[in-house]
Amino acid sequence: METFAQSLVSGVLTGALYAMIGIGLTVVFGVMKIINLAHGEMVMLGMFGAFWGQALWHLDPFVSLVVWTPLMFVVGMLTYRFLLRKIIPGGELNTLLYTAGLSLLIANVALFVWKGDYRTISLSYGMTPVRPFGIAIAVPLAIAFGLAIAITVALWLFLSRTNLGRAIRATSQNPEAATLMGVDVERVAVVTFGLGTALAGAAGVLLAPSLYLYPTVGELLLVKCFVIVVLGGLGSVPGAIAGGILLGVVESLGAVYVSATYKDGIGFVLFLAVLLYRPSGLFGVGK
Amino acid sequence: MKRLVLRSLAAIGVLAAATAMAQPIKIGAPQPMTGPDAPFGDKFKKAYGMAIEEINAAGGVNGRKLEIVIEDHQAKNQLAATVAEKLITQEKVLVMTGGRASGQAMEIASVSQRLKTPYLVDHPSADMITTKGFEWVFRNNPTGSIYPAAFQDFITNYPAAMPKSAAVVYDNTLFGKTIGGAAIKILKAKGVNVVADEAYPVNTLDFKPTMTKVKGTNPDYVLLVAVATTDAILLTRHAKEMGLTPRAFVGFGGGFGVADYATQLGPLAENVFSSAAWSGNPNDPKTKAFYDKFHAKYGIWPHEHEVEGYSAIYILADALKRAKLTGNLDADRDAIRKALLATDMVTVFGKVKFGNWTGPTGDPFTNQNVYSPEHSVMAQWKAGQLLNVWPKAFAETALTFPEPVKK
Amino acid sequence: MKLARRFLPALLGVAALAAIPLVVKNSFFLHVCILVLMWTVLGAAWNVLGGFAGQVSFGHAALFAVGAYTTIILYLKGGLAPWWGIPLGGLAAAVVSLPIGFLCFRLRGPYFSLSTLAVAEIVKLVALNWESVTAGSVGYLITSLPPLSILGASVNWEGKVPFYVAAAILTVIALAATGWLRSSRIGAYLVAIRENEDAAEAVGIDTVRTKALTFALSAFLAGMGGGFYAFYFRYVDPDAVAGIGLSMEMVFIAVVGGLGTVGGPLVGAVFLTAVAELVRERFQAGHLIFYGLFMMLVIRYMPEGIWGRVRKIIDGKKGGS
Repeated sequence: METFAQSLVSGVLTGALYAMIGIGLTVVFGVMKIINLAHGEMVMLGMFGAFWGQALWHLDPFVSLVVWTPLMFVVGMLTYRFLLRKIIPGGELNTLLYTAGLSLLIANVALFVWKGDYRTISLSYGMTPVRPFGIAIAVPLAIAFGLAIAITVALWLFLSRTNLGRAIRATSQNPEAATLMGVDVERVAVVTFGLGTALAGAAGVLLAPSLYLYPTVGELLLVKCFVIVVLGGLGSVPGAIAGGILLGVVESLGAVYVSATYKDGIGFVLFLAVLLYRPSGLFGVGK
Repeated sequence: MKRLVLRSLAAIGVLAAATAMAQPIKIGAPQPMTGPDAPFGDKFKKAYGMAIEEINAAGGVNGRKLEIVIEDHQAKNQLAATVAEKLITQEKVLVMTGGRASGQAMEIASVSQRLKTPYLVDHPSADMITTKGFEWVFRNNPTGSIYPAAFQDFITNYPAAMPKSAAVVYDNTLFGKTIGGAAIKILKAKGVNVVADEAYPVNTLDFKPTMTKVKGTNPDYVLLVAVATTDAILLTRHAKEMGLTPRAFVGFGGGFGVADYATQLGPLAENVFSSAAWSGNPNDPKTKAFYDKFHAKYGIWPHEHEVEGYSAIYILADALKRAKLTGNLDADRDAIRKALLATDMVTVFGKVKFGNWTGPTGDPFTNQNVYSPEHSVMAQWKAGQLLNVWPKAFAETALTFPEPVKK
Repeated sequence: MKLARRFLPALLGVAALAAIPLVVKNSFFLHVCILVLMWTVLGAAWNVLGGFAGQVSFGHAALFAVGAYTTIILYLKGGLAPWWGIPLGGLAAAVVSLPIGFLCFRLRGPYFSLSTLAVAEIVKLVALNWESVTAGSVGYLITSLPPLSILGASVNWEGKVPFYVAAAILTVIALAATGWLRSSRIGAYLVAIRENEDAAEAVGIDTVRTKALTFALSAFLAGMGGGFYAFYFRYVDPDAVAGIGLSMEMVFIAVVGGLGTVGGPLVGAVFLTAVAELVRERFQAGHLIFYGLFMMLVIRYMPEGIWGRVRKIIDGKKGGS
C-alpha cells in the first residue's frame, strides 16, 4: 500500500512537469496546426539557462524563472518571425521536416558549445526529501510542481480573460471564423509561438534541478511530449495536463508493477490505443 | 562533387604512398569526437597524446616517431566501420586501437579482422569482442563479465560480508546486462537470495518507482549497474530518497567512479562502494607518478579511460619495437600481430599478456589479457574521494562496512 | 522515340553504376559508393510512401530492423545465405507492414506520423527485450560469409566489389519499382490521395487498399535495405538498426533529393553522404550542425528538393514537356 501511494505521488509530481512541456506543444499546434519537432530543444535551452544561472551568477534555478521565461518568449517570437513564417504556407510536411532540421541544428550547436557532458544542478535544500505520511517527496520536485500549477493557472487566466488570449483560443477553434471576426492571425501566431516556447523553457527550468541535462536531452523529452499531447487530444490545454499526469502515473506504476524495462513501452501502447480508438484524445476534449 | 571527392582521395593516396621508412609509424584510433559521447573521445585523445609525446621525446620506436590518427565516429556503428576502413585503407595505419563503446568496437574489430590489421581494444568491454575467435583483435582491459570479480572476492573473504539477500538493478544495455547477469550468477552460486532483479532503460528520468519496489523487498545489499553517469547519480539519489538502508550499496560502471558522482550527490555518495572499471593500482609508484604527471599536464585526474588509452600506446610501442618492420604494409601488420602475441609487460594499467582462456561465464576468449581477473577492485566514496578498499593488496584506506545507521 | 527517351536515362544510369567498380580501384571510395547506394534504397523506400502517397512516416527504422534481423537470424541460425536472406528480409518487412498499416492508416496527417514513431519505438523495445530471438542488446555478429562462386570464380568477401554489386542491384530494383509506381495506375491513385484523400475516396478509389499496397512496397524496399546492412556491416543490435535517427535520415534523403521523384533519393544520398564526409573532414567539430542547417536551407529555398529543382529547370527549358 505504501509502495502504491509512493509511486502514485511520484507519478503525479513528475507528470505535472511532463504536462507543462506538453502544453507548449499543444498550444502551438492548436493555433498553427504545426508540430514543432524543435520543442524538446527549447526545453533543453531552459534547462541550460537554469544551470548557467546557478553556475555563473549563483541564481537559484527557481528564481531564474523570471529571467528565462520572458527571454524564451522572445526567442520563440524571433524563431517564428525569421525562421518559420515563410515555411508554414509550404504545407504541413515541409514545416514538420523544417523543424526537424531546426532541432538537429540547435541540439548540435549546443553540443558544440557546451560539450556532451551530463550536468546536474544540486541545491542545498534538495538533498533530503520531506516525508509527509511516510511518503518521500523531493523538495525541488515539490517546488517545481507548485510553480507548474501557478504557471498553468496564469496561462489559463491569460487565455480566458485577455483579448489576445481570447483571440488565440478563437483562432485555435476556427481560424476562418477568427479572421472574419477581425483577429490579426499573424500577430496571434507570433504570440502563440512565443508562448509555446516560453512554456517549454519554463518547463526546462523547473525540470533541471530534478533531472540532469545534456545537449541532446530534447529528443527524449519530445517523444514523451508526443505521447502526452496525443493522450489528451492535440490542441487541447486541459487535455495536455491530464495526459501529462496520466503518463507520469502510468510510467510510475508500470515501473513498479510490471517492469522498468517496459515502462516506455506501456506509454507507447497506450499512445497507439488512444490514437486509434479515441483520436480526439482520451477525454474527448480535443477536436 | 564527385570530382572533389576523387581529388581529395587521390591526394591522400599520394601522401600515403610517400610514407617511407623514415616516416612516423601511424596508429589509427576511431573515437567519438563529436556527438553525445564526445567527452570520452576527448579523454582518449589526451591520453594518447601524452603517451606519444613521451615516447617520441625518448627517441621514438627504433628511431621512428609514433603518430596517432584519430577519426570521429560519433558513437554510430555505421560510421565506426567507415572510419576504420578509411584508417586502414587510406591512412594506411599499421595498427588500430580505440573504439570507446562496444557497438562501435564490434564494427572496428570486424573490419580489422577482414583487412588483417591488428586492433588493440583499450576500453570497450563487451565479452563478444574477444569471444568470436578474431585472431587480429587483442584486448588489454577486462570484459564486462570480469568486472564483479573483486565483489565476489569481497563477499567471500571479508568477515561477515556474505549478503543475506540482494537486490540487483541494472540498465538493459549490453554493458548493464552483462554485469548484472554476472553479479546475479555469483550471488546465486553463493546461495544468496536475489530478492529484486530489475532492468531499466538507459537514461531513465525517474527511479523512484523502481526504488520503492526494491525497498519493499528489504534487501541486505543493493547492487546498482549503470553505463551512464546520469543513471548512476539518479539511481543513488532516488534510492536514498526512498529510504533504502541496506548494509551496502555497490555500484558497477564508470558513472559510480567519476568526480561528478560525488559533487552532485554530496553526502549521499558517502560510503557507496564503486566496483568501477580498473584504472591501475594506485599503490604502484609508477602508476601514481603517471596520475601526477597527467594531472600536472591537463589539470584533471586520470580515470580508467585515460589510464587505458595511455597504456594502449605503450603496449603498441612495445610490440612495434619487437616487430621487424620492412615497409611492406601487409607483412608489417602481420609482424605486429605476432609481436603482440608475445607481449609480456607491465604498464600503468597493470600486467599484460594476451592469451586464449575461458572466461567466468564459460566463453572462450581469444587474445584477451590473461591478467584481467586481477584488474577488478572495489573502491568506496569517503568525503568526496574515491579510495580503493578491496582487495587488500590494492587498498588505499580501510573500508567502512556495514554502512553505519544514521540516527 | 518516346520509349527511348524514357529509358535512355535509366540505361545510362545502369551503365554508370556498372562502370564504377571497373574504373575505381580505391576500396574506401567504393565503400562510400556502397553507402550512397544503400541510402538511395532507403530513401527510395521512404519516398514511395512519403513522397508519392504523402504519408510521412517517422518509423521506417522499424521495417529496416525487421529486414536486418530476418537476414542475420536466417543466416546465423538457419544457415541461409544472405543473398536469399535479403529478399526474405524485404518480404518479412512487407508482411509486418500490413498490421502496422492497418492500425496507422486509420489516422491522417501528423497523427499518422506520430503513430509510426510510436510503432518504431515499440519495435525497438521488442528487439531489445525479446532475447531468445533477437539476442537483445548483445546483438548478432557475422564472422564469416558462406563461400559463393559465380561462373566458376569464387567470390572474395574481403573485397568491396561483391557488396557493391549487391547494393547496385538493390538500387536498380528500388528505382525501377518507384519508376513503375509513378507510371502505373496506382501511382495515379496515390497522387489523388496525396492531393485530397476525401475526394479520392469519393471518386471510388479504395484508398485503404492503395495505401496498404504502397506501404508494403515501401516496407519491402526498406527491409531489403536492412538486410543489406546486416550483410555488409555484419553486426546488428537494436541501437544500430532501430533508432529514431535512422528513420529521420531516410526522411532527410528523400526530402533533400526531391519528394515524389524517381531520381531524388539517389541525388539526396550522394549529396548528404558526400557532404557529410567532406564536412566531417574539414570541420571535425559538429558536422551535424551543417546537416541540420542544410536541411533547413533546402526546405526554405528548394522545397521540391535538388532533383525536383533540376527537373523543373530542364522541363522549363523544353517548354514544359
